[in-house]
Amino acid sequence: MRPFLVPVTLLLLAGVLWSQRWPFHSPVVVPPAAPAWASDPATVRHPTLRPDLKLASYTYRCSTCHNLFGPPPDSAPTARSPHGIVLKHGINARCLNCHHPTNRDAFVDDWGREIPYNEPYRVCAKCHGPVYRDWLHGAHGRTNGYWNTEMGPRERRRCVECHDPHQPPFPPMRVAPPPLTLRMGKQATQMERPEVRNPLQIYRQPAGERAAAERASGSVAPESETGKVK
Amino acid sequence: MAPTSEHEPLGPPDEQRSPALTRRGFLSKGAATIAGVSAVAAALSPLRNLDPADRPTLEKLLQKHYKEMTPEDKQRVLERIARQVEARYHVRPDVQDPPPLKGVEFVYALNISRCIGCRKCVYACVKENNPSRAPEIQYIRVLQMEKGSIDVEGSNHHYDPPQVPEHDSFYMPVQCHQCSKPPCVKVCPVEATWQEPDGITVIDYDWCIGCRYCEAACPYWARRFNFAEPQVPAEELNPDMAYLSNRPRTKGVMEKCTYCLHRVRRGRMPACVEVCPTGSRKFGNVLDPDSEVSYILREKRVYILKQDIGTLPRFFYYFDERGSRYHEPIAPVGPGGRT
Repeated sequence: MRPFLVPVTLLLLAGVLWSQRWPFHSPVVVPPAAPAWASDPATVRHPTLRPDLKLASYTYRCSTCHNLFGPPPDSAPTARSPHGIVLKHGINARCLNCHHPTNRDAFVDDWGREIPYNEPYRVCAKCHGPVYRDWLHGAHGRTNGYWNTEMGPRERRRCVECHDPHQPPFPPMRVAPPPLTLRMGKQATQMERPEVRNPLQIYRQPAGERAAAERASGSVAPESETGKVK
Repeated sequence: MAPTSEHEPLGPPDEQRSPALTRRGFLSKGAATIAGVSAVAAALSPLRNLDPADRPTLEKLLQKHYKEMTPEDKQRVLERIARQVEARYHVRPDVQDPPPLKGVEFVYALNISRCIGCRKCVYACVKENNPSRAPEIQYIRVLQMEKGSIDVEGSNHHYDPPQVPEHDSFYMPVQCHQCSKPPCVKVCPVEATWQEPDGITVIDYDWCIGCRYCEAACPYWARRFNFAEPQVPAEELNPDMAYLSNRPRTKGVMEKCTYCLHRVRRGRMPACVEVCPTGSRKFGNVLDPDSEVSYILREKRVYILKQDIGTLPRFFYYFDERGSRYHEPIAPVGPGGRT
């Protein structure tokens, strides 16, 4: 039997390997499908850029009513608009700073002349000079389409496609899911045993807290104080 | 066999003969050889579970390096890739190899003052570039940091508040910087990655041996490795493909951001630029003095990540002198927020 020790061992090994008794368990987590809105390139707002009011499937011009009733003498910041507009534009709290005093289908510039509705950036430029300069050169605001205008159209987004002129700060948004990549995400082993902390996952902690934790524990923060561990 | 003769003594006894000639030695060694071969075959047996579409073809084995291919070779290779993709995903792709444009050097600029950290760029990139969904591969990482400092080491990838931006934070998306002196190209032992004339560093996925040196060399952590067979749902596959950018990868190769090479070489914007809701992302030809990026580099305050290591990236962060991100939100933020 002794001379056949090697072949018998190898045959046993072959049998074990062939049977695949220890299948490979992948640590890979299948992440949930990405939400459709996360890759939607639509702008935040969709202004019509026309002095229109849609009521019950009929479209009115602003002037349809406002010529009838006449303009108010001046508009107070607390005036309740019938269109549900809430004006929160900092110190710019007068309607007629932007809207034309007599022609409701236009905006007004610094000299009292009319600015058409489809050129709203000229209204914004009255106060926001540096941003307007950056926007003209493309350093501010969205650009879509083609970087090379010889190969296709380039589309500059106008101010009101991102900013509500009555409440101009860019609105807060939903956030798309955080990464579940092999390096950065929670993996299967960690899903089963949540107490195991992935050292590659760094959770933010305010600088003051981190410094205090490091002082308290001698340069190494204890696990319970390492911030927003989920 | 030893000759037997009356005049000569018999040959040496069995114990002193060469063992190769013995019957016992022959049988035991032969058995060991056969058993060894079968053990090797058994060790390779998981290959029997391989999808027939994934078996390496002779065509692919004999394929030349990208730079040595003639136009006819390239056409054949693109045809082969299209066939393989169709067999696997049942989608007929449009595989092309757009050449770099003359007089074009691509540069990216990102306004950190305006980025709100919504991560839409991450998912637009995933949708465009066909990276693996499980294990998840993403080219863009968005770092959340405290306002007032750039503490990359202490940044957070995993923020998940109901709404962004959080008022005490700023956000810094990081992706491939398309360096002018790319350390990842320098370390590649097989020249599977190189810098194109328009400044994009690309990978030939058919030439990559998966040694991951480039991943270690990259100071921006911009390269990704396919540790497992990439899984892309067929209905999410982007059929607009290029050889050097978003054609499907295989297990064991590196991949990275290519500024959406298949889009930008045809004049379009990268997917991350198109989707950014705030317009923080800017892209263009830096050799054109009228382009947006030229203006930004000329007129704005620009920050280069890890400037001191001398990689000369083609990716710039810039700031506004004063922007809305420095204000508290004027409108109260309700539970659902404003849309």
